[in-house]
Amino acid sequence: MEERNHTSAPETAKKCCCCGWGAFLVGLVVALILGWAVLPALMQKELKQPVAFNHVLHVDEQGMDCRQCHFAGPDGQFSGVPTTASCAECHSEAIGNTPEEIRFVQDYVQTGREIRSEWLVYLKQPDNVFFSHSVHSVERCSTCHTEYAENPGALCKVCHIDMSKVTTPPVYSENRLSGYPKGTMLMWDCERCHANPNHLSPATNANNACFVCHK
Amino acid sequence: MSEVIDFKIRWGMVIDLDKCTGCGACMVACQAENNLAPQVDASNKLRALNWLTVYRLSNGKSFPDHEVAYLPRPCMQCGKPSCVSVCPVVATDKREEGGIVSQIPPRCIGCRYCMASCPYHARYFNWYDPKWPGDLDRTLTPDVSTRPRGVVEKCSFCHHRWMHAKDAAILKGEDPMDLPDGAYITACTEACPNGAITFGDLNNPKHKVYELRQSPHAFRLLERLGTEPQVYYLSKREWVRRQGDNYLEHEATGDNKKV
Amino acid sequence: MNRRGFLKFAAGGTVGLVASPIIWNTLYDAVYWSQNWGWIPRVPRGDSTYMRTISKLCPSGTGIRVRLVDGQPVRALSDPDNPLSRGALTALAAAETQLMVSPARLKEPLRRTPDGALVAISWEEAEKLLREKLAEAGGSTACISGDPTSTVNELLSSLVESRGSADFYFMPDDEQAALAAWSAMGGMGRLGYDVDNSDFILAIGANMLESWGTVARNRRNFSAGRPAGQEARVKFAYAGPVQNNTAAGADWWLPCRDGMEMELALGIAHLLIKAGHAVPSAGLDDFKALAGEYTPEKVAALTGVDAGRLAEVAKALAGAEKPLVLVGSALGAGGGAGAVMAGIAVNMLLGRVGAEGGLVNLPFPTPVVTGASDYRTVVNRNLIAWSQSVASGETEAPRVLLIYDANPLYSLPSDSGMEEVFTRSGFKVAMASFLSESCARCDLVLPAAMGLERFDDCYTPYGSGEVSWCISHPLVKPFYNSRPMGEVLISLAKELGVETGVKDMPGLLYKKAYSLGANFRKMVESGAVFQKKASGAFSVPVYNTDAIRTALTLKKEAAPLSLAPVVVLGMGTAQTGIPPFATKIITEYQLAGHSSVAQMNAATADKLGVRKGARVTVGNGKVKVPALVDIFEGVLPDAVALSAGLGHTAFDEFSRNKGSNIMTLTSITREPGTGLPVWSSAGVSVDKA
Repeated sequence: MEERNHTSAPETAKKCCCCGWGAFLVGLVVALILGWAVLPALMQKELKQPVAFNHVLHVDEQGMDCRQCHFAGPDGQFSGVPTTASCAECHSEAIGNTPEEIRFVQDYVQTGREIRSEWLVYLKQPDNVFFSHSVHSVERCSTCHTEYAENPGALCKVCHIDMSKVTTPPVYSENRLSGYPKGTMLMWDCERCHANPNHLSPATNANNACFVCHK
Repeated sequence: MSEVIDFKIRWGMVIDLDKCTGCGACMVACQAENNLAPQVDASNKLRALNWLTVYRLSNGKSFPDHEVAYLPRPCMQCGKPSCVSVCPVVATDKREEGGIVSQIPPRCIGCRYCMASCPYHARYFNWYDPKWPGDLDRTLTPDVSTRPRGVVEKCSFCHHRWMHAKDAAILKGEDPMDLPDGAYITACTEACPNGAITFGDLNNPKHKVYELRQSPHAFRLLERLGTEPQVYYLSKREWVRRQGDNYLEHEATGDNKKV
Repeated sequence: MNRRGFLKFAAGGTVGLVASPIIWNTLYDAVYWSQNWGWIPRVPRGDSTYMRTISKLCPSGTGIRVRLVDGQPVRALSDPDNPLSRGALTALAAAETQLMVSPARLKEPLRRTPDGALVAISWEEAEKLLREKLAEAGGSTACISGDPTSTVNELLSSLVESRGSADFYFMPDDEQAALAAWSAMGGMGRLGYDVDNSDFILAIGANMLESWGTVARNRRNFSAGRPAGQEARVKFAYAGPVQNNTAAGADWWLPCRDGMEMELALGIAHLLIKAGHAVPSAGLDDFKALAGEYTPEKVAALTGVDAGRLAEVAKALAGAEKPLVLVGSALGAGGGAGAVMAGIAVNMLLGRVGAEGGLVNLPFPTPVVTGASDYRTVVNRNLIAWSQSVASGETEAPRVLLIYDANPLYSLPSDSGMEEVFTRSGFKVAMASFLSESCARCDLVLPAAMGLERFDDCYTPYGSGEVSWCISHPLVKPFYNSRPMGEVLISLAKELGVETGVKDMPGLLYKKAYSLGANFRKMVESGAVFQKKASGAFSVPVYNTDAIRTALTLKKEAAPLSLAPVVVLGMGTAQTGIPPFATKIITEYQLAGHSSVAQMNAATADKLGVRKGARVTVGNGKVKVPALVDIFEGVLPDAVALSAGLGHTAFDEFSRNKGSNIMTLTSITREPGTGLPVWSSAGVSVDKA
């Protein structure tokens, strides 16, 4: 038995070694392609915004301020996405002649359909997350982070993507399993500030207790 | 055991048991506010899920000397919460200013140690998936996430209302950590038609509860366990106060204690 | 490839996967997924708005602040700015938004097919059918309304009566007894109670802190009069068979047999007269003679109230600055006028009629719809007399029967004749928001828009101490395929050629506002409420002792056991069924599984030979209902306390299959003199099951 093994082993072993590493490499490359590109892409579902809103047109050309649409209401609740009604303040009828605006006026303004409930929020958080925009205000952050006083938009960009230079809204990609968009922040994103003891100062009072962010 | 956790602000309730008539408006308001699912059959009280329960108390005497009282029981938000130290996954905690014991259902693994350790039965387990038959889910509020089967939940003193009150104060340019009396109240406090529940900061002399909790008629449930509850009760009736703890016959409560 | 090659390929694949983010990212995603199960509903996101209105489900029209999230009503909150309820909320009003979308809500017009099923039809068909049936029926039309505070009643009255019928009725309630009593004692208007300004209230039979009268307002007064941690400025005493919610808040509980309110009031009168409290008015001497017979000992034997405790309450009552005695029935109906008369007489002895914090005289509303009977006429009509006469065959059953916001098959005693009225009436039409027992028996069911979806109003509910008028206005479009009944009735009247003088509900309410001197627009826009103090001028009341004596001749069953009904508003009304959240406020001493709980004190249980947890039946000779025994010392001896509001067979899963309806245990007698139906003091027997 021993002899038989001994005689047949060297030849095949040598061959297999070569072909084996090849197989390993092929497996590795295939898996890397799958793991980095194919499967992540399959996990994502790409969705288009209901209206191709042009931020450049509104901000640069019409000179609108971000806060005309994105502001905190009297009860402190942040109004992230404007309602059809507030769009209709200007767009009760089509002002220009872009097909997208005409479609918006026809489909939303004239029918009363609510754009806000259809707009896809790039940073959508799960139900159990509480976030208040009025607490994370420029005034409060500027107590220490002086850079935001001159450039309030920079504070928004800490979390949000910069839309002011975008003519068509970026594609919204949603995870098929979790149902949340790519941009959803995870807990450690919040903890970059909340777990930082410097933020326990009276100006911010941002501790890392559960109920500060969860509901 | 852990030490009493103290804070500058201690949200608390003072419930006047002489004013509660047991109508259940607080329980309805609580369920609606905190997205508790209705239960078709809630007659098995061990399986019924409530954050706030109203108990009927009896003075134990026979007719006609019998007296009745009702005791609403939210979470006591103990200063030394027995539930926190036993939670293996830190799903429940007490480390936020205000002293509200937090409960994060998505983190809970449903071991129910906390339920066993809570002397007030203030914690409830989701035995069933929550169901809002028909269109009842249209009345969910945005304030509290819904909880699945298999996790424990409890009263949060309507914590979201505190967050909203703080937001409103910041917007008005006021100090969110020094809210005026009444700026933050729980749903049950707001709903009680008899005004039996008073809510506020137990440490703030400008709040009504500060004075009420020092009343000779004030007591807390199972006070001698050392849990330091943030919920106080008031009653002018000795027999009602006696039900708050296990008293020996010669022991007196409240204003009778001093005699 | 051989086996070894494959294994190496697999190893390479594994290393590659481990070195790529997919596994770790998927784990993260799985965490998200596990925290947000797809079968658990998501909470809404959106702006909250708050609007002020009233709860039309709550019988006294409690003021509410509705929270809407993205236009969807999610919460009914208390309204501190409402001058009537002043921030008090009842357990029923708190469930208003949930009831809007409850499974029992009627979603489509329904019509009965020849095979007996109710099937959905369109509004056009439903309206056509109703129009044809009404046109055919002519004067043979009857209508029962369960919402006496709404001006929609005038439309119903006009529609029915202008075509030759006088059969427009309100469901029986305490106001009918009060009106009969008040008229007998010389009152000209409606009987009102200035609860707001009284400092001692003796509620005889009236569950005033839970279900009777303007309950939210009563409880605000209770709250304000008894500030937490301080001495009470307002004292309360309650007389009734069970230590119910009102008794829990009261300083004194007088355990009094149900239906013995008149005897108790006379006992109080006896003690007051003896102590020298007798404000003179016509007929005082005669009344003194009658009250003289009601010695504390006799009253104790009749009512069960201990003589010492009665004397204590009488003394406290006499010693109060602004005492008020109010009399009602445990079930809110079926109490009879005699007890109210005796209660008025006690108030008269104390000089409390027309005084601040006493009894007040309220004006009747003037009808604004052409052809409508005035309120007084309708309240004075006797539904039970009519239904029993239909049952006995004396009166012909109507060809069309309209049921507006009422559930007579559930909320009236079984011998009310209503069953026969339903069997014999030609075509029965229900106008309601929920599928009640009565709706289920109708031939046509019209889904009514609810208070938050329609224009409606609430005019001075019984128990008020002043004239008040609130309106509800649509905060949202009607859910499902429901419609505001007022509008349906106005267009129906127009098509039938009935002149109402109004073209729509806002127009009707505007007319009403004009007649009252209220500002309709302001009321709609800001939720303002119209209030007017009662005018003091009316004729001097008289001690109508003859009427009391006549009422005293009512034969009361000498049963070994009496029924003690317990009413909790949170469990809904006959029209709403049990609201979804209310199943959790129903206690283990009201309902055990599917069975009602019969509470009795230990002495009674001993006498009956039953223990806690024993299965028994409670019967009245004709009907037997199963129950589970519970021992509660807050029940009068020889009485069995059972909860009202259970035993529904219609509505939804939250209402059905829960206990028994106590109305089946009651039976009707007619009060001598007034002829009013009385169903308090029901005798029952308890047998081991």
